[in-house]
Amino acid sequence: MKQNGSPSTNGTALTLTLDGEKVTFSSGETLYEVAERHGREIPTLCYDPRLEPFGGCRLCVVELEGARNPVASCTMEAQPGMRVRTRTAALEVQRRILMEMVASENRDTDVDPMHGYASQEMADLLDRYDARTGRFQGALSGTSRPDDDNPFIKRDYENCISCYRCVRVCAEQEGDYAISVMNRGFHTQITTEFGGLLKDSACTFCGQCIQTCPTGALGDLKALANRDVPGETETTRTICPYCGVGCSVDVMTRGEKIVGILPAMDGPANEGSLCVKGQFAFDFVHHPDRLATPFVRDDETGELRPASWDEALDFAAGKLNKVVKDHGRRAVYGIASGRAPHEAAYMMQRFIRAGFGTNHIDNCSRA
Amino acid sequence: MSDPTNAELVARWKDEPAPLLPLLHDFHERDGHLSEEALRAVSKGLRIPIADLFGTVTFYHHFSRDAGGLNRPRVCNGPVCSMRGTEILIASLRAAGHDPHVMPCPGRCDQPVPVIHGGTVLTGRTASTLVSGPSPLPPPAPAGVEECVFAGIRNPGRAALAGYRSDGGYEGLTRAVATMSPGEVIDVIDASGLAGRGGAGFPTGRKWRAVADAPGGPKTIVCNADEGEPGCFKDRVLMDHDPHGTIEGMALAAYATGAVRGFIYLRYEYPETFDILEGAIAEAEAAGLLGDGILGTDFAFDLMVRRGAGAYICGEETSLLNSLEGTHPFPRNRPPFPVTHGYENLPTVVNNVETLASAPPIMVHGADWYRGLGLGDHSGTKVISLSGDIARPGNYEVPIGLPLPDLLHVLAGGPLPGRTIQAVTMAGLSGGFLAGADLDVSLDEPSIRSKGSFLGAGGIMVFDDSRDMIRVTRESMEFFAEESCGKCFPCRIGTQRLVERLEGDGPRSVEAWVDEVTDLNEVMKKTSACGLGQAAPLLTESLIRYFPDRVRRHVEKG
Repeated sequence: MKQNGSPSTNGTALTLTLDGEKVTFSSGETLYEVAERHGREIPTLCYDPRLEPFGGCRLCVVELEGARNPVASCTMEAQPGMRVRTRTAALEVQRRILMEMVASENRDTDVDPMHGYASQEMADLLDRYDARTGRFQGALSGTSRPDDDNPFIKRDYENCISCYRCVRVCAEQEGDYAISVMNRGFHTQITTEFGGLLKDSACTFCGQCIQTCPTGALGDLKALANRDVPGETETTRTICPYCGVGCSVDVMTRGEKIVGILPAMDGPANEGSLCVKGQFAFDFVHHPDRLATPFVRDDETGELRPASWDEALDFAAGKLNKVVKDHGRRAVYGIASGRAPHEAAYMMQRFIRAGFGTNHIDNCSRA
Repeated sequence: MSDPTNAELVARWKDEPAPLLPLLHDFHERDGHLSEEALRAVSKGLRIPIADLFGTVTFYHHFSRDAGGLNRPRVCNGPVCSMRGTEILIASLRAAGHDPHVMPCPGRCDQPVPVIHGGTVLTGRTASTLVSGPSPLPPPAPAGVEECVFAGIRNPGRAALAGYRSDGGYEGLTRAVATMSPGEVIDVIDASGLAGRGGAGFPTGRKWRAVADAPGGPKTIVCNADEGEPGCFKDRVLMDHDPHGTIEGMALAAYATGAVRGFIYLRYEYPETFDILEGAIAEAEAAGLLGDGILGTDFAFDLMVRRGAGAYICGEETSLLNSLEGTHPFPRNRPPFPVTHGYENLPTVVNNVETLASAPPIMVHGADWYRGLGLGDHSGTKVISLSGDIARPGNYEVPIGLPLPDLLHVLAGGPLPGRTIQAVTMAGLSGGFLAGADLDVSLDEPSIRSKGSFLGAGGIMVFDDSRDMIRVTRESMEFFAEESCGKCFPCRIGTQRLVERLEGDGPRSVEAWVDEVTDLNEVMKKTSACGLGQAAPLLTESLIRYFPDRVRRHVEKG
């Protein structure tokens, strides 16, 4: 995480002029960050606040007094005394033309929001700049990879605008370096090593590339499989049930059905990161094989049969007591599930320590 | 002797500075291409993620990933060569059983048409007449014109250390090291008015002082010898015939700034130059002019040559630094600038060959002498690479401020018989065209910038009245589209869209065509991240300005 320095030097607040208004800033802040803090809503397509500023899309350019050309606000550090204009007529014209140019290189300008967290960014800016004009038509960029039959990540590069957020999130956030940029210019293409399939690369299928993609060139295949489930999508903030890290997620539901998972960009433990399980492995919830009642194993037949909770608990208590009676309290060993919440883990260790009088208690996440 | 193994190649380079490019070249030359096995060995040896390495290798035009690729002839399709028979030469090579493909301008516009075959550059018009040979020397300087970097270049034996010294070479360095402080050296360069001759024109003394004053080290001198601008071939002749001039200039820069290491980043397309530079550096080291204890003092400076692999953008100084460091050669965001955050994020001078080669004569003859070489208020000289439809193409070192007509018609003999000059390019291709009354400029930035162009690195290509300016513009824009790095949107998309419109696609009414092209031009000029995207639209802008009737015919007839 980028740390902003102290807001002042020698006790004097750092100030610059933003659209004629004197504003303060912290050492190390970029013009984009200062402007956003002051509600300017500067357009961007290559920016993800979690990543190093890249300066590729040029939509965030602002006019800086003394500079020959507009400067990319995302990469320009604020300096005392700067005079910056964020929304002049000339800038807005340049941004509109840039959006018309971007729209011209893609097969689709609109994609289903189920593609991913950021998938509407380009479409929203096309609306904001009234840029669906069809100008600058020509060749489309990018070659889609329908041959990549992995079950998680749709690779539809005909909708790619070469912002490289996927490549950067893979390197900077996940540390996988599974994908990179090949070729140059209009022929740049997101690729794995030697252009192969994701499953043959260093990809861990964490899905972060999907969630930062601003066009839907990358899509969440698990969520897209539910695109036709009827109903409005609702999201519920919760904690990923898998391991002990405690990643925040927004679970998307339609009616009673979970249709997808969005990482919480403001999740304190994960800041938008998830792993393959937290991102994609939610379909167990509605799986027909999922247990709906307790089962006990019949002593006579050795087969499992459905039972009531009371019967199952009595059965377990009886067997545990028998083990202690026959072999002593240290014959019991409890392992709490990493998928259980803190409270349940606490109860589990109380159950083992106080219930049986042994310290044989552990948690699977410790492995 | 058998070929070195993967492990031997990796071991040779992995602890050297800037190891990636030379290691890749060793594999490329051993195997004739870069195989998956080779890249996996490099990835492991240098600890570079394999996907990153693969992507980076694909960035360079001349690294072949196909078996036998190194030995396929590559033929220049630059604007001058395509007028002189690229197509004919390709057909001729094919008939001779080769499998040729095209390459962007390799800097031989004075000797069309060049072919790179394996590690050799050949020139000629047909497969059977291709020859290799040294770079042509500059034409003799006219009487009364005093030169700076070309003053001794025509002297026999100049490329060897003995010849260079007999002309007074290394006197400037000797005087500086023995009698001057680093600050005094910078003062002289500053007072001379020397400014970057690679195109950007930043004052050299100010750059050196910024590096001298910058905290942190080790500091580095990088000589930008990635002369990739089509129509520019001046640095090649300087390095081929006067390599010690550049080396001495780098040593002076190192002494002035406190740098302890230097790289010459040499474009791939100059393989003979690589050998000449390596030989000259070895000579200088043996003579105590490089390395430790230079000239008996405690001044130390190590100099290495690194070869590019075919990427115009690597002439942009921050792309060059990324390329040296072995990362993807996108330009960096500036600020910070290389003077504080250069090679390995440490203070670095990046100077063009001609700039560095100007420093030794300035140290010998003084700042006032150099200032006096220019005309009027202008300081010094500029080498112009002149090519195309002109009687005497070649490199001319002219006083800054010389009228362009004097260069074209007096020094270079004017157009070919029966022809008139229709247009010239400026800054290679980057300055777009000048034509008509605007040919009456003088060769200095203020004069040329007043016409919406710039002098830049000093390449001028001449197109006479037999040339189709739409075709010339299209081929030129194809170069920029091919070389656009793909980092910023306006350049990546804009160069492609301009090529398409010059090919006959796009709107069918002149008004809509000009409207679209003008919008692309403006956005590229204003918002592109580096000089490539800012300069490329000067071609289409000047095309519309000077040749509106030709544009109308192009759009209406398709």
